[in-house]
Amino acid sequence: MGSLTAFVFYAVALWLGYTSVGLIPIVIVLSLIGVWGSYYSSDKIVLAMTGAKLIDHDSAPQLFNLVQEITIAAGLPMPKVAIVEDSAPNAFATGRDPEHAVIAFTSGILAVMDRDQLQGVAAHELAHVANRDTLVSAVAATTAGAIALLSDFVLRITMFGGNRRDNNGGNPVALIAALIAAILAPVAALLLKAAISRKREALADATAVSYTRNPTGLRRALETLALDSTVVKQRSNAVAHMWIESPLDNSATSKLFATHPTLASRIATLRALET
Amino acid sequence: MNATFIVIGVLILIVLIGVSQYNSLVRLNVNVNEGFSQIEVQLQRRADLIPNLVESVKGYAAHEKTTLDAVISARAQATSAQGVQEVAAADGSLTNALRGLLAVAEAYPDLKASANFLSLQEELSSTENKVGFARQYYNDNVRKLNASIVAIPGKFFAGMAKVSERDFYVIDDPAKRDVPNVKFD
Repeated sequence: MGSLTAFVFYAVALWLGYTSVGLIPIVIVLSLIGVWGSYYSSDKIVLAMTGAKLIDHDSAPQLFNLVQEITIAAGLPMPKVAIVEDSAPNAFATGRDPEHAVIAFTSGILAVMDRDQLQGVAAHELAHVANRDTLVSAVAATTAGAIALLSDFVLRITMFGGNRRDNNGGNPVALIAALIAAILAPVAALLLKAAISRKREALADATAVSYTRNPTGLRRALETLALDSTVVKQRSNAVAHMWIESPLDNSATSKLFATHPTLASRIATLRALET
Repeated sequence: MNATFIVIGVLILIVLIGVSQYNSLVRLNVNVNEGFSQIEVQLQRRADLIPNLVESVKGYAAHEKTTLDAVISARAQATSAQGVQEVAAADGSLTNALRGLLAVAEAYPDLKASANFLSLQEELSSTENKVGFARQYYNDNVRKLNASIVAIPGKFFAGMAKVSERDFYVIDDPAKRDVPNVKFD
């Protein structure tokens, strides 16, 4: 979200005719401030964006209890627990550190899953908290954003703003290579970001099993998610990586850009742990 | 000249290793203590829930006296237990007595349908899970602590950090120990 703001600023500045090199540090600093801000208050931002309602032990005893069980297994402080009114079964975790963590479940997931399955889901979400995945994805997003900005800058210099005097002496092969690199770098950065997200999802599944010692619960939960075709209404890319099941379409073309491994492969991995 | 630098460097290295070993041993020891106090908190919570449970079962099934008495006496034992091994033993027998009580409750549809009993049952089974997870956390940390005390270089710093090997929390669970009878005719 922070890099998005910086992009908008950058675009406006370009449109107004400012193409000076001095713009780059300003944009990068703005982007860093934005990313840091959205990382630092991720719990509040996400609660506001998804409309999640916080619960306590009295309003939802079973959900509260099963989250508390996992915090004991993980040795983590109790996070805030919230419910999102949405019929699609899903859940997410966010927050800058374990002390400011929020984990949220949709009303849909509470309706379709039994206690063991929900416990697996809660363990997966708390695993994200323990593994500091909000921080990891903030760093990944900043890196991808910075690479995109830099390559855009390189493109502009080589194509339009370049020093005319050097043009005759320049090596055309090197110029073309630089162009290709500049064009491919942002794509590679996005691929890297998606790959990191997929790795962290797989890690969260493994960490979850180390908490519950019960791969069956999470495996059955993922199977329920696989059977369900509804997706959460929050289809924005900004929060896509947080959900336990990707809310975006998982078509073959976007496989490399997917933020989650396929449910089938996650289920197979968990099944291998059951003996 | 060069030799002095090398000696100083090696000394600094040894001090750094010592500090990090000391800190990690102390941290593990704190985790173990924390784990045990979490077990005690959850056992206390379970002990607090039991009188309510016994009362609500009595209302429907007062004649199941042996089961109820077993739970009450196991609870009394558990609340007075001290030290890892004793607490663990009392925990095991109370777990069994409660399992018996909940099995008895199955036979009384009115009891099973009462909202009070249902919420007690949820609290109790959740507390049971919490005790289990607290045990798991404690034992994991005891394993880590004991392993680093026995291994080099932790061995050399354990005395300085005033940490020693700790007992595992092992409960006697007859339900798990009973080997199924297999007969070949």
